Amino acid sequence: MNKKLRWKGLLVLAVLGISVYLAIPPGEKIHLGLDLRGGMHLVLQVMTDDSVRTETDQQISRLKQSLEKEEIAYDSIIKTENKVGEFTVQKISPEKQGQVREILDDEFREWSYRVIGNNINVTINANTATYLRDQAVRQSLDTIGNRVDELGLTEPTIQRQGLSGDRIIVELPGVENPDRVKEILKTTARLEFRLVKGGPAPDRETLLEEYGGDVPANMEVLRGDPKRTEGDFYLVSDIAEIVGEDLRNAYASTDEWNNPAVSFTLNPDASKRFAKLTEENIGKPLSIVLDNKIQQVATIETRIPGSGIIHGRYTREEAEDIALVLKAGALPASIKFLEDRTIGPSLGADSIRKGLRSIILALILIMVFMVFYYRMSGLNAIVALILNIIIIGGVLAYLKANLTLPGMAGIILTVGMAVDANVLVFERIREELTQGKSVTSSIASGFSRAFRTILDANITTVIAAIFLFQFGTGPIKGFAITLIIGITASMFTAVFVSRLIFDLTITRKRKKKDLSI
Amino acid sequence: MKYKFIALGLSGIIIAVGLINITVGKSINYGIDFAGGTLIRVIFKNQVPIGEVRNALQKAGIEGPIIQEMGNTGREFIIRTLQDVSEEEDTQNLESHEIIGQMVVDSLRNEEELKAVEQGIPDLNNINLDHLAEILEPEYPERASEIAEIIVNHRKSSELKGIIQDYSQLEELEGVAPEVIDYLKSKTFLSNVAVLSRETVGPQIGHDLRRKATQATIWALIGMLIYIGIRFKYAYGVAAILTLAHDVLITIGLFSLTNRELNLPVIAAILTIVGYSLNDTIVIFDRVRDNIKLMRKADFGSLLNASVNQTLSRTIITSGTTFLTVAALFLFGGQVINDFAFTMMIGVIIGTYSSVYLSCSIIYFWKIIFKPKKGMGK
Repeated sequence: MNKKLRWKGLLVLAVLGISVYLAIPPGEKIHLGLDLRGGMHLVLQVMTDDSVRTETDQQISRLKQSLEKEEIAYDSIIKTENKVGEFTVQKISPEKQGQVREILDDEFREWSYRVIGNNINVTINANTATYLRDQAVRQSLDTIGNRVDELGLTEPTIQRQGLSGDRIIVELPGVENPDRVKEILKTTARLEFRLVKGGPAPDRETLLEEYGGDVPANMEVLRGDPKRTEGDFYLVSDIAEIVGEDLRNAYASTDEWNNPAVSFTLNPDASKRFAKLTEENIGKPLSIVLDNKIQQVATIETRIPGSGIIHGRYTREEAEDIALVLKAGALPASIKFLEDRTIGPSLGADSIRKGLRSIILALILIMVFMVFYYRMSGLNAIVALILNIIIIGGVLAYLKANLTLPGMAGIILTVGMAVDANVLVFERIREELTQGKSVTSSIASGFSRAFRTILDANITTVIAAIFLFQFGTGPIKGFAITLIIGITASMFTAVFVSRLIFDLTITRKRKKKDLSI
Repeated sequence: MKYKFIALGLSGIIIAVGLINITVGKSINYGIDFAGGTLIRVIFKNQVPIGEVRNALQKAGIEGPIIQEMGNTGREFIIRTLQDVSEEEDTQNLESHEIIGQMVVDSLRNEEELKAVEQGIPDLNNINLDHLAEILEPEYPERASEIAEIIVNHRKSSELKGIIQDYSQLEELEGVAPEVIDYLKSKTFLSNVAVLSRETVGPQIGHDLRRKATQATIWALIGMLIYIGIRFKYAYGVAAILTLAHDVLITIGLFSLTNRELNLPVIAAILTIVGYSLNDTIVIFDRVRDNIKLMRKADFGSLLNASVNQTLSRTIITSGTTFLTVAALFLFGGQVINDFAFTMMIGVIIGTYSSVYLSCSIIYFWKIIFKPKKGMGK
């Protein structure tokens, strides 16, 4: 008997020791949730339609080239409105239709088509579209990860919601400037260098006057970013000579007038292309376009090898941010914020204080009550309770789970409910004692008879908590996890530890008659 | 057991009142988690009457905001902007909410501040650590970040709660010399209002969260049912479920009557209550099961009565301890967790009451109505 008790004692001490080791100091070991620590919780949606749209545009221009090469006449190619990944080649001369179908069969295997009279309707295959969308989300995850890294934020969480969803959850603890972070995450950051063919003009109409109001072939109208330029309209080449992927590095710097600017260096391959481009176009204007807005138009004065500088009337912070997003890479599709919760550090600190105060108050109330009602056995329950809280701390630290404000509520609730197991046992023991059984057998049968009830009663709460954990968001998960740990631990502390304490006190005492309960 | 008719009647009335209130009356107030919208917590430098806050918002063109005072200082408010729950896929919605969020904050600023903001003078109440260090850099190159940290930490302390009311509040800080304060006075201003938190939930997410909450509730109920089904006889399962349904209905009814908002933590609280009430019920049923073996001669009614009475002290003690802890949370846990604590508090009372008075009554009537041949034991 004594040997058994010693082993049990060692086991309890070991659990206590490990928990203390894991949880101390709590300030470092226990991770606080965003609601306590302050920070941002964002849910972003990747507009995956964008990437299908881009693919469609690329394929349309490829098809145009093929049709041109084969000298097939057609009226126009029109993209279907409100539906991405679909377009119609209109009015193909009937005798050439077979040839077009051949091209589509051979060169556009990821697309299927339907012939409707003189028109051919071309649609992207579902598998390909799904693949493109999935790729867009994966790339966005990478890019956002890079940007967050560049921002130097600690312990960020960036994950996809579900395995195939188009949503990304970003959690950033301790963010001090939420608006700036959101701006950085949202920027698509598609950088393009394009040759300027016409402009500047104050509006679109003036710009297109000399072309009879239509945009000439292979050109596009872009507007200067009103924040960076005069906001004039330009006619630019629709081919981007250099794009964001060609950058090797980008950093904030200052130009010769000491204004903030963004410097960049190109990778070797792009350097060659850029040198050639600038050499051939000396004296002509070149535009630097970011997300379809012209940042700067400059006249090429000399041949420029692998590096350059963008000065677009930036503030220092803007220059830093643009350098950051250029370095981190472009997003394959635009993103939208679906949810944004920003908790300031002072509210979090306030919640921690209030949560701790409630926990301590709850503990004191329970302790006073237990000692008052069960006397010495109440102390036993208190030991179990304190051990329980230490175990919760240890397990939380071990699982690296976040302690949230509802999580603190879970601990408070556990304090109230954990004594339940003790109460069940004590009440049984009291009953057995009033029936005139001896102390030892009362304790033994009290524990064994109460055990099944304790198990039944606690499992239902654990079931509720498990589903909460499954479906809940951050703070609620925190509640579910502390509740699960607390209740499970209470079975150990109230049944195993309390029993041990009873057994120890009884074997110590010579007189086994009285039990303070 | 002698109160069984009264208990059933009373519960029936409360549930009916609650349901009528939900369906015909005020219905359930969905919080932003489920309805979408923007919730902003702000703290003012000085006391501001709630009417003034409302006027400022109305002037800015924000219609029907819900404004709630937080705590008892008269300086903290929760502002929630209304939004219709629209099912349509409109991804622009959140952005429009962000604009509303900014409008709310701007409308609460006074003219002096707006001028200062326009002139680009930084606001010491909303400035971040790095920026403050940058401002201090030219004058105190060596200690800039240290001083900045002291000030920012002081700002978020329990004393100031996120807003510096007056530069004199920095005077007693160790490591901040009077010259530093004078320097800051010349370079910064103290805004009249600081934002403690800002939460915006788009309609899609609201929709999603509603679905998830429903799923969690349904699955949890099914899980518990299966467990009871394994451990007890059919009749007990039905009784337990009816008791649970009773608890949930009353809790939601009272919730609606007290005009509180249904949000995620409240759903968590309701589910916990369900687990908790079941816990009480199971303890009693366990006793009934034991007693069926022990008291073979007793009639079923008095057996049930005995079981309830034998477990009564346990039920009351456990409910009492749980109630004490939840009450501590309700009184001292702060505004953020208040709805949760409130739900738990009424839930504990209702759960206990229903376990003691209702669960066995239902079993009793089951026995009378269905007269099971195999008896009630398992």
